[in-house]
Amino acid sequence: MAAIEFLDLGKKYGKVRSVRKLTASITEGKITGLLGPNGAGKSTSLRCLLGLAKPTSGEAKILGVHYKELKNPLTQIGAVLDSRGFHGGLTGKQNLKVMAAAAKIPDARVDEVLKLVDLEAAANKKAKGYSLGMKQRLSLAGALLGNPKVLILDEPANGLDPIGIAWLRGFLRTLANEGKTILVSSHQLAEMQSTVDDVIIINHGMLMAQGSMKEIIGEGTLEDAFLKLTAGGAR
Amino acid sequence: MNLVKAELRKLVYSRSTYGLLLASIFVAVLSTVVTPIVIEQDETGVFGSLEDRAMVDGVYANAISSYIFAIILGILIMSGEFRHGTAVATFLASPKRARVLIAKLVVTALAGALFQIISAGLSVLTGYYTLTFFENVASPSESVFINLAVASVLSGAVLGLVGVAIGSLIRNQLIAIVSTLVWLFVLEPIVLLLFVDAGKWLPTGAITGMLALEFESEAIGVSTADYLSPGISALVLLGYGAVFTAVALVTSMRRDID
Repeated sequence: MAAIEFLDLGKKYGKVRSVRKLTASITEGKITGLLGPNGAGKSTSLRCLLGLAKPTSGEAKILGVHYKELKNPLTQIGAVLDSRGFHGGLTGKQNLKVMAAAAKIPDARVDEVLKLVDLEAAANKKAKGYSLGMKQRLSLAGALLGNPKVLILDEPANGLDPIGIAWLRGFLRTLANEGKTILVSSHQLAEMQSTVDDVIIINHGMLMAQGSMKEIIGEGTLEDAFLKLTAGGAR
Repeated sequence: MNLVKAELRKLVYSRSTYGLLLASIFVAVLSTVVTPIVIEQDETGVFGSLEDRAMVDGVYANAISSYIFAIILGILIMSGEFRHGTAVATFLASPKRARVLIAKLVVTALAGALFQIISAGLSVLTGYYTLTFFENVASPSESVFINLAVASVLSGAVLGLVGVAIGSLIRNQLIAIVSTLVWLFVLEPIVLLLFVDAGKWLPTGAITGMLALEFESEAIGVSTADYLSPGISALVLLGYGAVFTAVALVTSMRRDID
């Protein structure tokens, strides 16, 4: 069953068409990589999916409905869109407690997720003092707060050092093994090849390919397939 | 209630809240301390004398002069979401944006009223203490403190709402605050000069109207005799809050979140 569906999704900013008739679906219980070059429309598609941007045409559904129709969405969907989403003047723990209050999640869960992402020691430090890697972990903690079935992560490896990336890989695999559906966008193709089960490749806002990792890369690498599919892609 | 709790937490956790409250208290206290000194030092007689009850009422009325901080509080609460990038997390938790706006309005109205009551209360105390240093000071009218309390609560609450609406219309925090200051301290005085009768319908005129002061000075061209009654003034102020909120709801709250 599809946990996430993009149905003829289109989004224009002025005269610029960021996403064009994107149709794709993400299977439950798998890690799916959303790949594409800069400006391909990955983040815009995710923002439309999460109700932050209004589609110009088509629609995006999550768990069968539009995001806005979900009841207490943080308990069903967790999202990491960028590492800027926290108030720098508040501690990591305070930022999460604000989110917990909004979603009626007990404060005890805040301590649990901070432990999950190895941020316990920095919990009472102001978020503006966090490194980029720590901010990414805090974002992940926020996404996990409601113990959601679906995780949507936009470039979660950005700014992470090799140790952080390895930690993230293991972390995502653990979450997938728990039955969570994960949609992750990234530029880091080698990393994605060893992390994701299914792949969606978009370019210029259009779907280039969708399938299992094996179907997409065949005998080659993800980078080979990506370059082949995106080089001089449709405009 | 969940969203109100979340907004309250943002307010309580943020240091800027306390900085703003201190600034609000400072300005209010300064107003009632300085005004009697200015009145007594003035040799032209333009401001009258502290022997006049209306002037003493005027001293205490200055306790309300920190209302600008209620507006700034509202602006910080709303535009802060865009400045810090927390709008994404806020609207992911509650994708129905009107609910977020309503929660912010409720919290800002409460906090704005609290800001004004604390500031005005301390200002009245310091004003009272300052007046003990002067001789032959008239007693204030009985109604001035009640009117002041009502005007403080209402102006703090309503101007806080106006601040939230401004913050959602103008997402850049600095531009929102500067625009408000320009409106209050540049444009409103110009409008008052050009259209004297319009003063009572402007937000600051409505706040003054709520105090039911009696003050008249031809020399500085001010007379409160033509101001609206406290009740009508309160309604005018609430009208501003309602219009700004409605505009915010049907415009900016529908825009994409970056």
